[in-house]
Amino acid sequence: MISRHSEARLRVQSRAVAPSVLSVAYRHLPRPLGGCPICCQLRYVVAIRLELDRAASGCDAEVTVPKDLFGQFAVTVGFVNARAVLAVRGEMDRVTAPELGAILDAVIERHRSVVLDLAELDFMNAWGLGVIAARASRLRRSGGTLTIRSPSAMVLRTLDITGVTELLGVELPDPARRRLGAEQSIEDADGLDGTEPHGLAQHVGKITAVPADPDVVDGVLRLVVALARASVGGADGVSVSLRRHGRLATVAASDQTISDMDASQYATGEGPCVDASVNGRWFHAESLDSETRWPAFTPRAQALGINAILSSPLLAEDRPVGALNIYSRTAMAFTPQDRELASVFAAEASSMLTSTGVDVTDEQLSSLRNAALETRRLIAQAEGVIMEREGIEADGAYSILCNYSRRSNRPFRERAEEVVASTQRPQLDPESGPRLGDDG
Amino acid sequence: MAEISATGQPADMLDGYRRDAGLSHGDLWLRYFELGGMSNALELEAILYGALEPSPHDREVIAHALNERFVELGGNHPVPYTESDATKRRTRTAGRGSHRFAPPRSC
Repeated sequence: MISRHSEARLRVQSRAVAPSVLSVAYRHLPRPLGGCPICCQLRYVVAIRLELDRAASGCDAEVTVPKDLFGQFAVTVGFVNARAVLAVRGEMDRVTAPELGAILDAVIERHRSVVLDLAELDFMNAWGLGVIAARASRLRRSGGTLTIRSPSAMVLRTLDITGVTELLGVELPDPARRRLGAEQSIEDADGLDGTEPHGLAQHVGKITAVPADPDVVDGVLRLVVALARASVGGADGVSVSLRRHGRLATVAASDQTISDMDASQYATGEGPCVDASVNGRWFHAESLDSETRWPAFTPRAQALGINAILSSPLLAEDRPVGALNIYSRTAMAFTPQDRELASVFAAEASSMLTSTGVDVTDEQLSSLRNAALETRRLIAQAEGVIMEREGIEADGAYSILCNYSRRSNRPFRERAEEVVASTQRPQLDPESGPRLGDDG
Repeated sequence: MAEISATGQPADMLDGYRRDAGLSHGDLWLRYFELGGMSNALELEAILYGALEPSPHDREVIAHALNERFVELGGNHPVPYTESDATKRRTRTAGRGSHRFAPPRSC
């Protein structure tokens, strides 16, 4: 048990580390720091490093996030021999999980054996899952181990379903002291057998916001597949297809046969999965015996023993980006309730995909970057023109363009285009030409 | 209690404007890059949160990228272009509530 009293105790307050230290630390910190409040994370990283420098063997450090920011969330860091023990208290979600991640990052730098004590953790969603999975994987690669101590039944089940338990060690508590999460009971956890579809839908609702890390996205989609497989009555297999690099690919599947089913659709270019991914609406093949829409794909599916398919579209920003596919060996297997449940899972997965920006394809991103590069080139040309005409430096030329854009409420690019175009005429239009002192 | 950044300003002042503008960090970086910004996305994020002090030129580019967004939303140019402008504006608006432009809720 970690002592909460120590000479080396440190409470991290908002001004615990001087701003100049943050700037210096920022320049030397390895990437990535994640997409959350950097300066806040830096404070923990810097504070933990300073603490590690000072703390004698056996001393503890306490890092407490201000309650007005993060509720009751807190992490107590203890160092026993060569082992670091982090006790997490409160709720680990989108706001607080990055804080734990920053602390773990700092600890992992110097300790190869790290214990995460979750006995007082009340709730954890996919953000927490992502933080734990990433650090466990990193520690494992470097020859270390991350051990989860006393997880609640729900946390353990989540770690198990997503395969994270393969990356870490688990120390279970004494059964007599077993403690569940605030919103879960043993019955709820056991309800994953499919008898409580509405409860499951609520569970999925908590995994809608995760970092835009492909590994984490895939992990959440694997969780969706596992939950859909367990809860949709007629399901013999489930998969998620997602468009990546311009092509559909299976990112999560309950077994190899289901992956083969998806692959057959990609190969033939037809099937409910492909249609749902392209058209953005759901497709239901009640019985493949009477199915005529996909003549090339249907025989392949029947050869693998599949007789019914339900594909629901995955949408990001209302654009189709993939499909949730549910397969059954039994014709007419899916009831209206199953279809409704599938749509709930698809909607939740869509929400997650929207929040992670998965809708932006490589082509779109490339197009955006090309447009941005073109504008930069144009602005540089305009700066050159003004520098020559006015005999000023680049920053001054930029300010002139900026001031004109501000005064006229017109985009910077338009003004740059005018300046460049003016080189085709004998001289700048005296009414609109940029001059020094045009400061609005 | 407002946090104080390396620049002596409220730590997340620029990021507050970003939030008001309805832009993600990635969206803002692309706009900033388009207008000639030289910092990478992570450095820009650190500047927005006050962990890094921008050069005067960087500050101007960030302000203009944000202001162009506010103009798109029907506003004016609420983001000060220089540190001295920001200081003057804080002095003028002291005790008069938020200085921020409130964009239409549609964003």
